[in-house]
Amino acid sequence: MHIRNFSIIAHIDHGKSTLADRLLQLTEAVSEREARDQLLDTMDLERERGITIKASAVTVHHTYQGEDYQLNFIDTPGHVDFAYEVSRALIACEGALLVVDATQGVEAQTVANAYLAINNDLELIPVVNKIDLPTARPEEIAMEIEQVLGLPAEDCIYCSAKTGEGIAELLDHICRKLPPPRKPITDKTRALIFDSHYDDYRGVIVYVRIFDGSLRVGDKIRMMGTGRTFNVNELGRYTPAQEKVKELGHAQVGYMVCAIKTLDDVRVGDTITLDTNPAAEALPGYEEPKQMVFCEFFPATTTEPSGKKGEYEALRDAIEKLHLNDASFTYEPTHSEALGFGFRCGFLGLLHMEIVQERLEREGGVEIVQTAPTVSYEIELRDGTMVEIHNPADLPDLSKVVSIREPIVKLEIICPTDNIGDLMKLCDGRRGTFKSQQFISQTRQILDYELPLAEIIYDFYDKLKSITRGYGTMDYEIIGYRSDRLVKVNILVNDQPVEALSLICHRQNAEKRSRAILQKLRKQIAKHQFEIALQASIGGKIIARETIKSLRKNVTAKCYGGDVTRKRKLLEKQKKGKKRMKTVGSVSIPQEAFLAVLEQGE
Amino acid sequence: MPPSTQLTRFGKAVQGSSCPTTIADLDVLGELSDGTAAPQGIYGHVPFCFHKCHYCDFYSLVDRRDRQPMFVQRLTEELRLAGPYFKRPLRTIFFGGGTPTLLAAEHWRTVLDAVRDNLSLESGYEFTLEANPETVHAELLAVLVDGGVNRLSLGAQSFQPKQLEALERWHDPANVERSVKLARAAGIWNINLDLIFAIPGQSLNAWLADLDTAVALEPTHLSCYNLTYESNTPMTAKMRSGAIRPVENEVEAQMYEATIERLAEAGFEHYEISNWARPGYRCRHNMMYWENENWWPLGPSAAGHIAGTRWRNVPRLDAYLAQGSWPPICDVEQLDADGRVGEELMLRLRLIDGVALDRLDELLAVGQRGPQRMAAIAQHIDGGLLQRTSDRLKLTKRGLLLADLVLADLL
Ligand SMILES: Nc1nc2c(ncn2[C@@H]2O[C@H](COP(=O)(O)OP(=O)(O)OP(=O)(O)O)[C@@H](O)[C@H]2O)c(=O)[nH]1
Ligand code: SF4
Ligand SMILES: [Mg+2]
Repeated sequence: MHIRNFSIIAHIDHGKSTLADRLLQLTEAVSEREARDQLLDTMDLERERGITIKASAVTVHHTYQGEDYQLNFIDTPGHVDFAYEVSRALIACEGALLVVDATQGVEAQTVANAYLAINNDLELIPVVNKIDLPTARPEEIAMEIEQVLGLPAEDCIYCSAKTGEGIAELLDHICRKLPPPRKPITDKTRALIFDSHYDDYRGVIVYVRIFDGSLRVGDKIRMMGTGRTFNVNELGRYTPAQEKVKELGHAQVGYMVCAIKTLDDVRVGDTITLDTNPAAEALPGYEEPKQMVFCEFFPATTTEPSGKKGEYEALRDAIEKLHLNDASFTYEPTHSEALGFGFRCGFLGLLHMEIVQERLEREGGVEIVQTAPTVSYEIELRDGTMVEIHNPADLPDLSKVVSIREPIVKLEIICPTDNIGDLMKLCDGRRGTFKSQQFISQTRQILDYELPLAEIIYDFYDKLKSITRGYGTMDYEIIGYRSDRLVKVNILVNDQPVEALSLICHRQNAEKRSRAILQKLRKQIAKHQFEIALQASIGGKIIARETIKSLRKNVTAKCYGGDVTRKRKLLEKQKKGKKRMKTVGSVSIPQEAFLAVLEQGE
Repeated sequence: MPPSTQLTRFGKAVQGSSCPTTIADLDVLGELSDGTAAPQGIYGHVPFCFHKCHYCDFYSLVDRRDRQPMFVQRLTEELRLAGPYFKRPLRTIFFGGGTPTLLAAEHWRTVLDAVRDNLSLESGYEFTLEANPETVHAELLAVLVDGGVNRLSLGAQSFQPKQLEALERWHDPANVERSVKLARAAGIWNINLDLIFAIPGQSLNAWLADLDTAVALEPTHLSCYNLTYESNTPMTAKMRSGAIRPVENEVEAQMYEATIERLAEAGFEHYEISNWARPGYRCRHNMMYWENENWWPLGPSAAGHIAGTRWRNVPRLDAYLAQGSWPPICDVEQLDADGRVGEELMLRLRLIDGVALDRLDELLAVGQRGPQRMAAIAQHIDGGLLQRTSDRLKLTKRGLLLADLVLADLL
């Protein structure tokens, strides 16, 4: 039996998961009856949003030139935030299918993911997909691939993951072109953990790729990084149905269950060896993903102490549980005057943050108030020390601060040539520094900029999409920290500073941002019995101001026999709405208002 | 039977596995037959209008005349069925709508005969009919007076065509005065005028002019409502879409305050948030609602309340006409003790006199939320929205304008 291990990588929506469907179908891994679109996207959220969030590994068989090939492949997510999923998947493989949409061409994550694969010494098969579409330009796109990535145009496989055209050829090509796994270099077992997830009944399930030796049910194993030992209770593969096996042999990919109850006991990237006959050296692991976007989660209701388990505890349980499935976000307890007890969390990007929040609400059954996302800052202090803060509220007294440094990204935009001017204007307005510009075809270019991460985390991508009418794409990478004229803006509600609303921004934008934020707050905070002053200040100096006039009249005009129930319900709703708000002084602030900080004032 | 599917929409589901489809399926009739929860009054609903006003969320159909006979027959049947359960003479009857005065005089004769045959009335009873100024005429009034009607409630709303237009309310303002005169000539002295303020485009002065016009007609009673944007009305849709701009909150407040002042000068007693009466002319029927008494519903969409059970006849004329004996019902609600206390406070505190401290003590002793309510009361007394006199708890003048804030906290 031959083995081929590969990942499917691409820009978002270029058809990876659909291509995986066809591979499953053509190798008869799933029957007609079981088949459904993007079968490997099993999470509710993935199906609703039509995107892949988590990589999934499956095993199928294909006969090529009369020989049996076991194909272990991993469908990966395309969105930038999940790039770490791609890099993990790639380490478990020798090859990758680089899927490119025949109508869209090379886009930002095509380039980013291709380079990830090339840097890992993977063999790439460029696949031009969606050739069934009337607007497909397969040859042109193949040229683009050659131009940008240096992969010969004639190596491209043309296919349609929708109609199945070209898929059979692709399967043969995979067997022929992708290299077999390397030979074992030691007789001691070494298996790489490339993913894990948590199952309520069986505990942590780890995904492994065997590089040397093998794993058998009953083996006593050791995690080389953590030193913990376990007995292997179950081994198996996804085909895509779960199929138990007695042994995972050389170069194979599968899952392992061994009564691991907490994720502290396993680390993705760790090497598994046998306790009785351990390997001397671990396999190269991964670099831990670095969280770049931070926000706070608070339980939505904390006002009424009730008999049942506190909202905070429920949120904590939900976070801990989700963390077992997604170790790439961080969390630590925090407290805010306005919002009570909660957690400060770090994410790989904005979509990641959104997904985590949604999964907590859905899977954990908790309601969350989320504060505006911020980046991390490095603060250089007068005493020569350096602190990293993830929250504007933690900014030390300015008299002690020498400089505030913020993360800078290298941004790569691929866009139609027509939009270059507007996009440069956008980047310049966001404190960007132009780096380079390069044609990838007659109509499209790559634009490189360096700019602060804080300037792109919120609405930059939407702006890019609207300027390019959907045709522009971007990818970014953190390249370091740089200092700038950054200030902390405090937002005061009736003279009380609300830390959860404070922000760090460039001095030059402070007035404009403050005004936008206050105007948003004015719309979102309901009238109270008294007038409410909204102010923004920098170090005690007021830079913007708005007022919310007092509520003078709030009374149900009619309440007769037939109205009683309905009017009572309305009052109850009003009361419930108030309960969901956070109170600062005596002002009730609705939860959405805490996102007002994101207003850019453009 | 589709209507019954609405049963559990409000409040807690009714006991027992089978969903009741008529009043006979609830314990209400039992409570009536032993006399403990005898209704004080009847509300009858006439579901016809000649045009649908844009702010209106009452159940009514644009009248095609053809269904009037069937409706009347069904209504009298319902009266015959209910009559025997009323163990005490009634204090009040109120026919509202819709537009009761759209029902032809001969039909009213039939209905009123059925009332006389099946119900007994307390001496000094109040019997009100709602009327659209456009449809009041001498022949009808004669029949009504003959049948015992002694109070008329006229939907005047505004005397200014521009405002009536904004409401999509079709009547000639001059007909209000004509109707008042006709009614008085027919022997009905006790007359209410309904007015609406804070109509989009209306100024404070325009409203005060309306108010003066109304006072000049010498009604015994005035209901002045701040225009309410009820969900599912064209008015509300227009507001949401931005086609009309609601009057500023501040101006609404000024209009209301000016109303209180003007009507006090004119000798009216302000006795409920939106109601004013000459001494001795408070509307008994509506007092019954605010004092949380029992009453019985007749006609489609009419709501009833007996000893904590609230329900409504199904708001559909065809369903109402189709059913044989008791009409189909929906929106049944039986609140727990706490819920009932909250509801009673919500209703009673609408009265300017508020609630007697004795009754308040009784209410606060019931259910789990007593301490919370007490705290809320204390807080609102501090905040100047509630006041306690030697024997009553009531809204302050400022509290009247912000009543919902107070009432929500007492639920
Ligand atoms: N016409 C056509 N549509 C395709 C083809 N392949 C995929 N699609 C469609 O393209 C869309 C995206 O497909 P997916 O398979 O979810 O793309 P993906 O690359 O897995 O997306 P992410 O996992 O979110 O990065 C879906 O609507 C597919 O039906 C194809 O060959 N032809
Ligand atoms: S006349 Fe009365 S019931 Fe009929 S539509 Fe107008 S407001 Fe509604
Ligand atoms: Mg996918």
